Amino acid sequence: MRIAIPKGRLQERALNVFAAAGFDVPPDADLKTRKLVFERGGVEWIFVKDCDVPVYVEHGAADVGIAGLDQILEHECSAYQPVEFEFGRCQMMLIAAPGAPPLSKVATKYPRIARQYLDSRGLRAEIVPLGGSVELAAVLELTSHVIDLVETGETVRVHKLEIQDLVKEISPRLIVGKNAYRTRAREMRELIARIEDAKHEILQNQLP
Amino acid sequence: MAAKLTYPTGVRPLLIEETARRRRIESRFVDRLEQAGFAEITLPIIDYVEPYAALVDRDATRQSYRFVDREGDLVAIRSDFTPMLARALAPSMSEEELPLRLFYRGDVIRCEASRLGTNRELFQIGAELVGDASVEADVAMLRLASELVRAFNGKPTIVYNDVSIAGALGAGARDALVTKRAGADTPPVVRKLIAGEATLEDVAPFAPKAAARLDAIGRALDPDEFVLHLDDFEEGAGYYTGLRFRVYGKSLIAQGGRYDNLYARFGTSAPAIGFTFTIEELD
Repeated sequence: MRIAIPKGRLQERALNVFAAAGFDVPPDADLKTRKLVFERGGVEWIFVKDCDVPVYVEHGAADVGIAGLDQILEHECSAYQPVEFEFGRCQMMLIAAPGAPPLSKVATKYPRIARQYLDSRGLRAEIVPLGGSVELAAVLELTSHVIDLVETGETVRVHKLEIQDLVKEISPRLIVGKNAYRTRAREMRELIARIEDAKHEILQNQLP
Repeated sequence: MAAKLTYPTGVRPLLIEETARRRRIESRFVDRLEQAGFAEITLPIIDYVEPYAALVDRDATRQSYRFVDREGDLVAIRSDFTPMLARALAPSMSEEELPLRLFYRGDVIRCEASRLGTNRELFQIGAELVGDASVEADVAMLRLASELVRAFNGKPTIVYNDVSIAGALGAGARDALVTKRAGADTPPVVRKLIAGEATLEDVAPFAPKAAARLDAIGRALDPDEFVLHLDDFEEGAGYYTGLRFRVYGKSLIAQGGRYDNLYARFGTSAPAIGFTFTIEELD
């Protein structure tokens, strides 16, 4: 079994879930090395960029992974999403500078989601795909608006921007590749049940 | 300036060895279909969009390359053989000819630009049994699909289900089934389906025909190779009306199912079942 863990924002909490589910996850010391593949407890753990988890799982290069709905939708990933997590939730928002001109150009890391959002609202605007620091596009008036993830709202405040609309509620999910799910159904369903239980156990422990 | 080296996303030439490999697989595959009594037909590479408008859902429509031809008609490049076969056969088909065992081969072009690494041009060979609504026809086509894989890749896993079960469940339940995640308002039977614990007895109260049929199919087949997954549904069933199956090796090799209402749309009603292999996936 091969499990894809997203590096960065979700990494620690993703590993915690697997640890709580009884998996022998790679320890911190290992993760500080440059290695990207670790074999432990019969599982091959791979550490990839968060936007690549759906790609690995979609194509069967990993059986299972943890990915945000933003990345799942952006890649039109068809993998199953059996468990939705409470941690790492955020919102995808339409953001602009106060007094910004009418919507004409939108900078975003998520061109596909942005396109669907604009179409669903009947809005006509050009999409400018960027790799990061998207808020800057609004600050420097590269575009009239940006669409990006908002977790605490700090970035929006710091840049004196304002939120105009909710594009999508985003949550991390356990994703399971269709091929793995169909050809090794018992193993995959057992894993899903363990992760579901671990999720509840973690939530219980967090109660005051 | 140097000429472009690349091709449009998802297409590429096959050079000598790859072409030879494909031809080897293709001719062995076709031999087997002919031995099984299937006759070849050839379908055009483009066709009008209009005759298919009512039956193809929006997702499938977006999959095809479309353009306006010189006469001003909207045409599409072939992206799915099955409706084209129905349109070719139905107007002139007579009861006495049925059942028909047919196969076709060729490229389909799909503009799924988003799917990383997905080919847009796929070489497919498909077979259809037209005019036989029986359980025996379902079993025969499932067995044929299995035999075809065995001739190349070894023993496959064939996962099957009946799309009419999802149809009987309502939209909310279908969402849960497609993502495999139950919400607070998910009915108990859907929870059971998602957990993989549901049996035909759970399904029978609301989809009695499908349950009886799946039971009969299951009795005729080796459960090691043909696995009933009652939770296996896609977002849209397309033109499928009953049995639906997918053939897995290392990846998805083939897929198919029953579409008993498709031919009626083109003039003559006839039940039909078929499958399509993507030849790249065979060894």
